[in-house]
Amino acid sequence: MAPRVQTRVSNSLLPYLTSTSSISSLPSSSSSQCFSRQFSVTAAPQTKLRRQMFEWLSTEGAELKHHIPGETNYVTRIKDGPMSATRPFPNNPNFVSESILSEELRNEVYNRVVEEKKSVRAVSMDLGIDMKRIAAVVRLVELEKRQREQGKHLALPYARAIHEMVPTTPLAEAGERQTYHEPINDLPAHPLTGAQIFYPVSESRPFNRVEAGRVFSSAPALEQHEAAEISHPSDLAEKVIENPKIIGWVGKGKNAREILQPADVRIPHPHMVALERDRMAHPNERRAVAERQTQRLERQDAAEQQRRDRAQARREKKLQTFTPEKSRFEYRIRETTYTEQTTGSDGRAPWAAGRRYGVPHRDRTRGEVKIPTRVEA
Amino acid sequence: MVLRIRLARFGNKHNPFFNIIVAQARSARGAKPLEVIGTYNPIPKRPTNLYNENADARPYKEIALDSSRAKYWLGVGAQPSDPVWKLMGMAGLVAPKPTTHDKA
Repeated sequence: MAPRVQTRVSNSLLPYLTSTSSISSLPSSSSSQCFSRQFSVTAAPQTKLRRQMFEWLSTEGAELKHHIPGETNYVTRIKDGPMSATRPFPNNPNFVSESILSEELRNEVYNRVVEEKKSVRAVSMDLGIDMKRIAAVVRLVELEKRQREQGKHLALPYARAIHEMVPTTPLAEAGERQTYHEPINDLPAHPLTGAQIFYPVSESRPFNRVEAGRVFSSAPALEQHEAAEISHPSDLAEKVIENPKIIGWVGKGKNAREILQPADVRIPHPHMVALERDRMAHPNERRAVAERQTQRLERQDAAEQQRRDRAQARREKKLQTFTPEKSRFEYRIRETTYTEQTTGSDGRAPWAAGRRYGVPHRDRTRGEVKIPTRVEA
Repeated sequence: MVLRIRLARFGNKHNPFFNIIVAQARSARGAKPLEVIGTYNPIPKRPTNLYNENADARPYKEIALDSSRAKYWLGVGAQPSDPVWKLMGMAGLVAPKPTTHDKA
């Protein structure tokens, strides 16, 4: 469509433009705006809605033109006052804008994890930040530090403006209690628990979350004496953290999967349940309870560290690196074994290392799904 | 006939990947070998240099090798080809391949 250039239109626009320019705080004269309008190629249709918009901008909306640092600048503020500081959409009161970490808080996270070498779990519990977010913060602060070292430009004015305009979680002053940034013990629904199962149980048998998990993953019920050992599902959590191999498996070959554990085991901070139960059992022994919790955490961290070290040692034992002097590259030589077990009886098993002979490449076959279709939850 | 330990090229165009194989010297590159004893990926991979300790790490090339089988085949007289000699020299299975500089 050819652009319509009509001087008449811009003339008809004149009253509106002057009306907006008179209320706008910009120190531009009406004549200059009119002049700039003449360069516009498309004719702006003057509708009722457009007129109303300009009216609104000049009256009610004028106070949103400049944000107040430290406060949100949402439309809802006009109608509902400062009470609705976290609800940006007037017609959707269910949407609440979540706060972000303040600069001080994220630096504190980095300090505690990297400088003070505290465990992610402990920092998450102290500051009320999800463990995944802690990990992300550490990575990103690390990245920022490196970029500063390299003398790269950072979008600091942008960051500052954003931090002024969205709600933030501040770092508590010394002696104050830190406000929790988010719920830290949330657990996504496991797909196995979606099934509706009719499972008759005799009244004489106790049936708790541990048993329910076994039913969901179609594992046989626990023996009576095994079930009797578990007084509360959260007891299992500590055992599993110290030795994850005690979780049994069901199914064979490709379909083998771990037995679904109760939520008490799968939540990010199972020790918080233990702490709460301890508090309930001994309401008058606060110090002893706190001490037990510290010991519990230390024990779990030590067990995890030990496991990680073992895995690293195992990996390094199999991996030999060679760095030639005059090369740009490093060679990583991994010790492997090609046996019947690792390559299959005919030497062509799909999981065998290396490319196989006589096995068609199906990577370009129609309908071949290359992205993973299953995530181990 | 001579046994050779050599590379067999797999992978698509511009995307080479090698199996380290034991085969009769006169057999074709793509023929089924006596045995596959390893793999070599000549496309360098970049280490995740998110942490400072890895910041100046070199790109690396991956080799997988069954050293016990390699030793066996070397013991019965299999001769590594030049590229495999280079790789096995790095793994410490044979004396390193002399460079042109060493020979001169």
